[in-house]
Amino acid sequence: MISSIKKTSLAEIKARLEQHPIEAVIVGTGISGAIIANELTKAGKNVLLLEAGPGTNLTLQGYNEFLSNFYGATSKDNQAPYPVNPNASMPRSTNLRKLQPGETDSATYMVQSGPYVTDTNYTRVYGGTTMHWEAKTPRMLPEDFKSQTLFGQGVDWPLGYDDLEEFYQVAEREIGVSADVEDQSYLGVTFPKDYVYPMKGLPLSYLDQQVAKRLDGTEVELYGQRYPLKIRPFPQGRNGIPNDKYDRGQGYVPVGAVSNHQIEIGERCQGNTNCVPICPVQARYHSGKTLAKAFQRATGSIHLLVQAVASRVVIDPVSGRVTALEVKVYKDPKSSEHETVTIAATIFVLASNAIETPRLMLASGLRSSSGLIGRNLMDHSYLLSWATMPEICGTMRGTSVTGGIIDLRGGAFRRHQAAFSVDIHNDGWGWAVGSPYSDLTTLVDQYNLFGPELRRGLINRISSQLLLAFMIEVMPSESNRVTVDPQYTDQLGNMRPVVSFTVPEYTMRGAAYAREFARTVFARVGAADQSRYDPGDYGYVAYNGQGYAIRGGNHLAGTHVMGNDRNRSVVDTNQRSWDHPNLYLVGGGSMPTIGTANVTLTLAALCYRSARSMLDQLQ
Amino acid sequence: MTAREESFVALSVLLTGYDSVHLLGTGMAEQYLAILDSILPTGMVDDLLAAYQRLPQGPQREPAAAATILGDAKLGPVARNLIVLWYCGSWTQLPAAWRATYGAAPQDTTHAVSADAYQAGLQWLAAGAHPAGAKAQGYGAWALGPEGR
Repeated sequence: MISSIKKTSLAEIKARLEQHPIEAVIVGTGISGAIIANELTKAGKNVLLLEAGPGTNLTLQGYNEFLSNFYGATSKDNQAPYPVNPNASMPRSTNLRKLQPGETDSATYMVQSGPYVTDTNYTRVYGGTTMHWEAKTPRMLPEDFKSQTLFGQGVDWPLGYDDLEEFYQVAEREIGVSADVEDQSYLGVTFPKDYVYPMKGLPLSYLDQQVAKRLDGTEVELYGQRYPLKIRPFPQGRNGIPNDKYDRGQGYVPVGAVSNHQIEIGERCQGNTNCVPICPVQARYHSGKTLAKAFQRATGSIHLLVQAVASRVVIDPVSGRVTALEVKVYKDPKSSEHETVTIAATIFVLASNAIETPRLMLASGLRSSSGLIGRNLMDHSYLLSWATMPEICGTMRGTSVTGGIIDLRGGAFRRHQAAFSVDIHNDGWGWAVGSPYSDLTTLVDQYNLFGPELRRGLINRISSQLLLAFMIEVMPSESNRVTVDPQYTDQLGNMRPVVSFTVPEYTMRGAAYAREFARTVFARVGAADQSRYDPGDYGYVAYNGQGYAIRGGNHLAGTHVMGNDRNRSVVDTNQRSWDHPNLYLVGGGSMPTIGTANVTLTLAALCYRSARSMLDQLQ
Repeated sequence: MTAREESFVALSVLLTGYDSVHLLGTGMAEQYLAILDSILPTGMVDDLLAAYQRLPQGPQREPAAAATILGDAKLGPVARNLIVLWYCGSWTQLPAAWRATYGAAPQDTTHAVSADAYQAGLQWLAAGAHPAGAKAQGYGAWALGPEGR
């Protein structure tokens, strides 16, 4: 796709500010900012996008440099492709350590105030965290929106599934979701008659099929109810085979790689088994694809300022309206040298994720009249269980995940314990123990294998790996929160986020059951359990006499919660601030609960809904 | 290819279990030999190659390699590092006791050699797969039965 995406220089922005008032300034180029920018420019609005990162990946060459960084990195973690930038730092799992009770670790960008140490992370580059997301796109269940009423847990949303359904469809179009309706109609999720996803579902991996062969049709019992199990494909935000029935038979044209010259890659997933941390061919959606459309259509009314870190929201104390945004524009990631500019606009949209958005508000002294800014931080808790299948299953091929078990995403048991969704990882034990590297060093250093025996040992050990990742629901809790503290600042002098988090007991009950459930699955498929959780692990949580290594999910939410009551929420159902009528806080932070759906599709749907409200306000 | 390079590739065939066509096809052989030369004390690579040349032919070849190369205090850790280099494209710092005895070069740090070395890693091939992020097998190939069943 050709586009005219380009950066605009600070001097040019300043000159334009005098002649053409900006209608909307948007902080962040992740999926929320991209969707809103695209919707506003469609309506002819004048938009300025701010990106904290350098924007080197606007071109294919820059994108491929990220890929090259990944190949050459010693650690292949979520941030491996993205250069260290002290002016727009990112949390990184490789830098974490276990905390003693009462201890705070400020050695990493995101200060860990404990007691739980989370390795959750997000990416501060052009495209935001869609640069490293896995791109699973399930909808939330209808029951997820009413968890207080139905289960006495969490809170109800001010919106229901039916309010969001049309926006889910728009988000599925934009992301380009590959899935089949018949696989995704479960636990009350419904679609309009004749709806099909833009592209056909990706096939289950051979590994999924081997698990399914022995597991499908079996049941588990929970609190007196029986739940049948089935391996199902997940909906995925990556290009598959377009469905010619889409859009009443009009079909769908996938968006491949984007750059400033014509390129023809990324039309279809190749199975690089590397959705996280970067898809080599851009078959997986990233928000640069949405922005490319906006830039192509609206040259002249959309501008992108990179290396621009929003540092303060300036408020008129009488009206509460935002008068300006202070932005630190730096010259080089290595240097703190910067210029502070003040940008005025009609509306302001903070779209920099559920950690950075409350961080900016709190650093601006804006605590919200509800006092809830930064509180109710949520993220899925992950528990990993891994085993050896009885035969070679072709592990390490596919997308990161093609299938899993969703049967315990919903049900009456949610009165007592958290629901979960289970992924079968096509990349084996990589997440848990660093396979295949750890397998190689074990066979070479401990088993003393070399030559043909080493080759045989490796295929037997790697190709039979089964890893189940349980994505466990976390309910809102006001004490799980993001704060700021003037003693912790970054190179530009901006206050860094400080995270305090305790994995709720409701979640741990779900985790304990997840472990039991994993053992049941392994027994049914004849797999040998290899899981172990090290008490020295930074994410180790003891519960009821057992210990579990709990991982973060990068599904950040809750920190500027939406609601109908201004005293009990930060934004309204249009994600507009109750306190500041021309300020929108958008993204996962607005979500009151997250159920067992990866948050991106839902927050994208919310952004489409909010864009309508913004356009009304800009009339 | 020089005789020394040929000898290095032959040693690598023995250690990795891949034939010379495969190893030369990665394009990494010269670079890996250069890495050994730059990190190991002078003469040690030649000691390793000489030990390889002394191996008997026939059924005693592998047991002899286990005894005189992989089981040797000096050459064993180097040979194991060479296996990891071919399989992962990364160098692992030699064990502390080895460094204390034979000397530690400043380049002897755990590091990924290069983007190319990662993609040339044999571990993926051995597993019937492909390097994560490169040399993909194609849309839907993951649904087909794997190698090695």
